[in-house]
Amino acid sequence: MNILIVEDNKELAAEVYDFLCNAGYVCKITHTCEDALEEVASNDYDAMLLDLGLPDGDGFEVLQAVRKTKSKMAVIVLTARGELDDRINGLHLGADDYLTKPFALTELSARLFAVIRRMHGFTVNSLSIHGFLLQLQDYKVSYNEVPLSLTKKEFDIFQYLVLNKNRVITRLQLTEHIWGDILEVNSDSNFIDVHVRNLRKKLDKHRSIDWFETVRNVGYRISE
Amino acid sequence: MKIKHQLAIFNALTRLLVILILWLMLPILVENVVYRHINNGLIEKKKKFIDNLNQKEINDFIENADDSTETYSQFSTLHSEFLVLSKVPVKGNDKKTFFSNEFRIIEGEENEYRILQYHFTYENQDYQLEIGSSLSEVNDLTFIIRFFIIIVLVVILLATFLADTVYIEYLLKPFYKIIDTKIRRVNEPEAFDHTPIKAKSRDFRELDLVLNQMMDRIAELFKKEKQFISNVSHELLTPIALLKNKFENLLQNESLDDNAVDKIAGSLKTLDMLKKIINNLLLISRIENNQYEANENINFHEIINDLQSDFQDRMDDREIHFENHMKYDYAFTGNKTLIHILVYNLVTNAIKYNRPNGNINIEDGFEKGRYFISIADSGLGMSEAHLEKIFNRFTRISSDQDGQGLGLAIAESIASFHHIEIKVISKINEGTTFTLLLPEAAKHN
Repeated sequence: MNILIVEDNKELAAEVYDFLCNAGYVCKITHTCEDALEEVASNDYDAMLLDLGLPDGDGFEVLQAVRKTKSKMAVIVLTARGELDDRINGLHLGADDYLTKPFALTELSARLFAVIRRMHGFTVNSLSIHGFLLQLQDYKVSYNEVPLSLTKKEFDIFQYLVLNKNRVITRLQLTEHIWGDILEVNSDSNFIDVHVRNLRKKLDKHRSIDWFETVRNVGYRISE
Repeated sequence: MKIKHQLAIFNALTRLLVILILWLMLPILVENVVYRHINNGLIEKKKKFIDNLNQKEINDFIENADDSTETYSQFSTLHSEFLVLSKVPVKGNDKKTFFSNEFRIIEGEENEYRILQYHFTYENQDYQLEIGSSLSEVNDLTFIIRFFIIIVLVVILLATFLADTVYIEYLLKPFYKIIDTKIRRVNEPEAFDHTPIKAKSRDFRELDLVLNQMMDRIAELFKKEKQFISNVSHELLTPIALLKNKFENLLQNESLDDNAVDKIAGSLKTLDMLKKIINNLLLISRIENNQYEANENINFHEIINDLQSDFQDRMDDREIHFENHMKYDYAFTGNKTLIHILVYNLVTNAIKYNRPNGNINIEDGFEKGRYFISIADSGLGMSEAHLEKIFNRFTRISSDQDGQGLGLAIAESIASFHHIEIKVISKINEGTTFTLLLPEAAKHN
């Protein structure tokens, strides 16, 4: 999977680059609109991460230009402007998803996974971990063909942790993933524990879950 | 009182004053003209008489005069004129000719006459000649003229008053148009109509121009403010994103000891807090800058149901009972995202400040024709002193609570953006009720 990162903050771009390379993507960084357009014209990318505030123009211009030629490329807009009109504008112009800064890298990888899955016609339909099978299209989990009854939130948490397996996921990251970014005023990250506790109970009925760790004071990790 | 009425009344009053003065001066003017005319006539007659003067004629007059008991020697049949000649010794300093108005009785009829008196000496004999001309016709005429003039003036007064009103109205039309289209109906500088208002008076064209210029400056400031907000969010949030990502990557390092992990987790929490404060302050300033559209249909049932299912787990965890007693299907037009945030903040507060095994009650209804929806909890409650401050930014019930104290400040901003009134009733240890009172204009389905 080739991914183009268009971000003018070099350090941030490098951080995203490292993370995505570790996750197995092939990445390239550009810092300006001009370079981005040139890069898109000369190479094939599966996805582009596009910052809006670029030094030589607005990211939307890149998005517009890209959409005229490359319909198969997934575009995730990384925006610091929380403005709704930008979002609506962006949807019309053909961005596939949005992430508002600051975003969690694990959130980015989850969105990227979803967007690319959609782009490729849902060829990846399930994830599996230690015998548990997550069916992505109907939010169902089964263990050895025995279905588990998980709530939507429990499924989301499970999927998020599996997608970012072997990484410590903080409560905040999970909270943001489950409840989103906009309605965040009173979000209390401890509520995530309730859901995780329930999820673990349900999984534990089928097999021991020593691979599903609680990292003290921080969050959770699912190891392969 | 409107300026057009004030101007019309002022004009009418000044005109009335002029007319009054004219009216008072009229007799003097008329008399001057008329008397001069009569005097000239009398002098003419005197001249004729003196020119043709001879002893015989004098004797004729004198004799006749002696015969009669009255001194009128000759008069016209209609008593409009008379002529009297009498022997009178001339006093040295008597003026030779002078005029006076006197009442005379001729053949039993009293009339006012304009009389010329002339003293002269003929063949060593002093005479006094009096020629009179009746004033009764003149007086009648003066009265008629005065009457006629007053009617004409009143008609002119009324006509000009009407004309004034219509013309002033016409002149002031652009003014009201400016007020209506350029000031009253403008809520957003961007929605300002720059087409010049057609006006005959330069003053209004100038006013229009100045208003346009002012609105341009305001629009420019608005634009700058929006730009600033956008820049701030970009410039502040990008470094936060960078730090957050760095810390998150750092956390994956297996060699970290517990102490380091704690510190990193703490830093992430602080960063998250910083992000939330920035985003929420930006949200408030965007709302206050009218950067949101308010044209979506909002269904409160849907919002409450969404929130209930969202928070069911949290409430179950604390054994809080959520009761929805909403009875009305009320349609409201506004910004869905913002209204969702508003209700969200109130409901999450109701959960957060509730006691375990408490209640949350949602009710709705109408108060004086206005729809209201109330969210009541059975929680900690607040003191009077605290109630006053809850909508201020960065106010929290107690310092050990999670959050930034912006939830209700945001709720307040969203409410006032939609012209919704928020009422709070609270009793310590019994609970708090937030009531959203919707504006009257909203329609009811």
